[in-house]
Amino acid sequence: MEENKFEFVQFDEESSEHIAAPVYSYWKSVWRTFFKNKLAIAMLVVAIFVIIFSLIYPRFSGYDIAAREHVMDFSRRYISPNAEFWFGTDNIGDSLFDAVWAAAGSSLEIALIVTAINLTVGIIIGALWGYSKKFDVIMLEIYNIVANVPFILILMVLSYIIGQGRWQFIFAMTCTGWMGIAYFMRTQVMIIRDREYNLASRCLGTSTMTMIVKNILPFLISVIVTLVSRDVPGNIGYEVFMSYLELGLDVNTPSLGRLISSYQAFMNVYPYLFWIPVAVLATVTISLYLVGQFLADASDPKTHM
Amino acid sequence: MKRYVLERIIRSLFSIFCVVTIAMFLVYSQIDRNNVFKEDQAVLKLKGQPDAYLNYRYSVWETLGYLDYMTQRDACTLEYDVNSKEFTSCLEIGSPEAAALGEQYKAKGYSVEPTPESGALWFTRDYTLVERIVRFYSGLINIDNPYAVQDANNPDLERKIYFGNDLAGKPALKCSGCEHKYLIYFNSDFPFIHQNIVTFDLGTSYPAYKNQAVTDVMSLRQGSAVKETVTFETGLTLDTSILDHTCTYKEVLDQLDSNKFVDNYANCLTNMAEDSMMSVSIKMGLMAVAIGYGLGIPVGMLMARRKGKLADKLGQAYIVIMISIPSLAYISFFRYLGTQYMGLPGKYPELGGADWRSWVLPVISLALPQIAGLMMWTRRYMVDQSSSDYVKFARAKGLSESEIFSRHILKNAIIPIAQGIPGSIIGCINGAIITESLYAVSGMGKLLPNSIKGFNNSMVIALTFFFTFLSVFSLLLGDLLVTVIDPRISLATSKKGGRK
Repeated sequence: MEENKFEFVQFDEESSEHIAAPVYSYWKSVWRTFFKNKLAIAMLVVAIFVIIFSLIYPRFSGYDIAAREHVMDFSRRYISPNAEFWFGTDNIGDSLFDAVWAAAGSSLEIALIVTAINLTVGIIIGALWGYSKKFDVIMLEIYNIVANVPFILILMVLSYIIGQGRWQFIFAMTCTGWMGIAYFMRTQVMIIRDREYNLASRCLGTSTMTMIVKNILPFLISVIVTLVSRDVPGNIGYEVFMSYLELGLDVNTPSLGRLISSYQAFMNVYPYLFWIPVAVLATVTISLYLVGQFLADASDPKTHM
Repeated sequence: MKRYVLERIIRSLFSIFCVVTIAMFLVYSQIDRNNVFKEDQAVLKLKGQPDAYLNYRYSVWETLGYLDYMTQRDACTLEYDVNSKEFTSCLEIGSPEAAALGEQYKAKGYSVEPTPESGALWFTRDYTLVERIVRFYSGLINIDNPYAVQDANNPDLERKIYFGNDLAGKPALKCSGCEHKYLIYFNSDFPFIHQNIVTFDLGTSYPAYKNQAVTDVMSLRQGSAVKETVTFETGLTLDTSILDHTCTYKEVLDQLDSNKFVDNYANCLTNMAEDSMMSVSIKMGLMAVAIGYGLGIPVGMLMARRKGKLADKLGQAYIVIMISIPSLAYISFFRYLGTQYMGLPGKYPELGGADWRSWVLPVISLALPQIAGLMMWTRRYMVDQSSSDYVKFARAKGLSESEIFSRHILKNAIIPIAQGIPGSIIGCINGAIITESLYAVSGMGKLLPNSIKGFNNSMVIALTFFFTFLSVFSLLLGDLLVTVIDPRISLATSKKGGRK
C-alpha cells in the first residue's frame, strides 16, 4: 500500500452536523408504493374512466329523465344492445346507455357530496373532540344516543319528515352521518397525540406546526383515505337502497337504485335492462373501493420501508 | 358491576326516550296530517257529505293521537245525565245548554264550531307534544289483572284466576275479570308457552292494517283463515277459525256469541294460514345467523392460518365483493342463479312458508354478507393475535400449529366476535329490508318503508321505538356477554368513554 494514494481531508464543521439518511418524500413514496401494484393501476384506470364518464357524459348526452321524449315512439322500445344503442333501449324508448350513466353520475355525485360533508364536519369536530376534555363529556353523551339507533332507521324517518329530493336526501345522510367519523377521529387524535415519538419530538423542541404536518398528518392521511374508500361506496349503497325502496330521492332525480328498481320487472323478459345497471353499479363501487384501499395502504408510512 | 348495568339501563332508556320524543315531535308537527288519508279509500266516498267527512277525519286523527275530538252528543253525554231533561235539550242545535257547553270548552282551549250541514257543535283541541308523549308511554305496558274489566252492565262478574283447559283440552291459566280469558297457555308455535299477562300497546295502525294494533300487525298470523272443528264450552261443535287463546272481554254479546260462549269473553281473533311477520323474519334471520357463524368463523380461521396463500386471497376477494357491492346487486345476482339453474322459487309466496324450498334463497342471501363480515373480523383478530408473545411462547414450547390456532388464538380472537352475537340474533326481529322486498317475503323488513310510503304515522313512531329498543339492548347484552366470556374485561372500571 502506497501512502501517496491517500490524502488528508479538511475537517468541515458544517457537514459533520448533517445526518446521512436517504432522502424521504412522503407523497413520492405513496405513489411509488401505489404504482407497484398492478391491480391497483388497473382499478385506478377503471375508476377514472367510470368517474369521467358518469360525471361528464350526461352533460353532453342530452338525456333528461323527466322529458320522456320517445315515450310515443313504440318502435324505439326494448331494442337489444346494438351498435346504435350500446346498452339498448328501455320501456319508454330512452337509450339505456344515457340513462345508466346519468343515474351513475347522479348517484356518484350524491355519494361524493355526502362523503365530503361528513368528512369535513367529522374531522373538524373529531379533532376538537379529541383535544378538549369538556367537549368530550358533552359529545360522548350525544354520540351514545345517536350510535344506539340504527342508521337506516334515522335515514328513513328523516327522509319521511323532510320529504324526497336530492338535497333533502343529502341532508338526511349528513345529519348524523358525520358522528361516526368524528368519533373515530377523536380516538385517533387521542392515541397519536400522546405517542412516544411525538413526546420525544416535543422534548426536542419541534414546533407544533411541524408536529402536525410531519408527525401527525401522515398517520391520519392513511386513516382518512381508508374512511373515504369505505364511505364513497357505502354512501352509494345507501342511496341505491333508499331509491330502490322509492324513498329518499324524488322521481325526477336519476339514480342507479331507482333504475334497478324500475327495471326489475323486466329481469326475465329483457334481462339486459336489469343486468346492465347492476353491472355498472358493481363496477363503480368495486373500483372506487379497491382504489381507496390500495391508496390507504400506500399512504401508511409504515409500508414505505 | 351491578351499578354499571343499572346505569347503562337507565342511559339506554334515556336514549330511547330522546329518540322517540324527537321522532314524535318531527312526525306530528312536520308532516301534513291530511297525508294520512292519501291511501284511504273510505274518505273519498265521504267527500259529498261534509258532516260525515268531517266526523270521519277527526275521529281518525283522534285515534292516531293528534287531537281530542268530540261531537255535541259526546260533550252532552259527558256533562249531563243521559235520562235528564237537560240532556235532551242539550242535543238540540242552538239550545242554551249547547251554547253554554261551547263557552265552557272554549275556555278549556278547544276550538268549537258548528258543522257545515246540520250546524251541530263539534269540539276539538290538538294535543301538545308533552301530552302525546305521556299518552304513548302511559299506555305502553298493560298488566292484566282480575279487576281490569269494569262493566256497568255486568256487576256480578266473577274476579278470579284459575287453572283450566282450553278448547283443545290443553291446560291453561285462565282468568275471569281480566281483559284476556287465557293468561298462560300452550300451543305448537315457538316458544310453545305463551302469556297474555303483560301486553304492549304501541298505538293503532292507519291507514294500512286499518285500526289494528301495531303489535298485532307484527305478531299475528297472516293470510287466509284456517278452519278447524272446535267444540265450544256451550257444547256447540263448529267448523271455525277461532283462536280461543286470544279471546278478550266483550261488553255486548249477540246471539251468535251466546251460542258459543258461556261468558263474556267473545272478542276472538281468527286463525290464519301463514306465520306472523315477526315469526317469519325471526326464523329466516336465525337460520341465516346460524349459517353465517357456522361458516364465517371456520373460514376466517382458515384464512388466518394460510395468510397470503391462495385460500386467503380467494377469501379476501369474496370479502371485497360483499363489502363494496350494494346488497341489492349481489342478492339479485344470486336470486337469478338460484331460480335459473337450481329451480328454486324466486318469490316466497309461490310455494308459501310451508315448503322448505321457499326458504333456501332468502336465507342464503341473508347469510352471504354475514359470512363475509365474520370471515373478515375472525381473520383480522386472529392475525393480530398470532404475533403476540403468548403465541411465540406456545410455539417455542413445541405446540403444533393447529393446536395453537384452535386452542390459544381462537379463544382470544373470539371475544370481540362474541360481542356481536346478541345483536345479530335480536336483529333478526327487525327483518331484512332488501332481501324481503326482492323475495316478497311477508316479514318485518318491509313494514317501515311501507308505512313511510303509506303515511302510517303511528306505525313509524311505534317502529322507531321498537327498533331503537332492540338495538339499545342488544348492544348492552353484547357488552355483558363479553364480560361473562372473558373475566379480564370489567365494564365497571372503564367509566370514561361509555360504550367501547
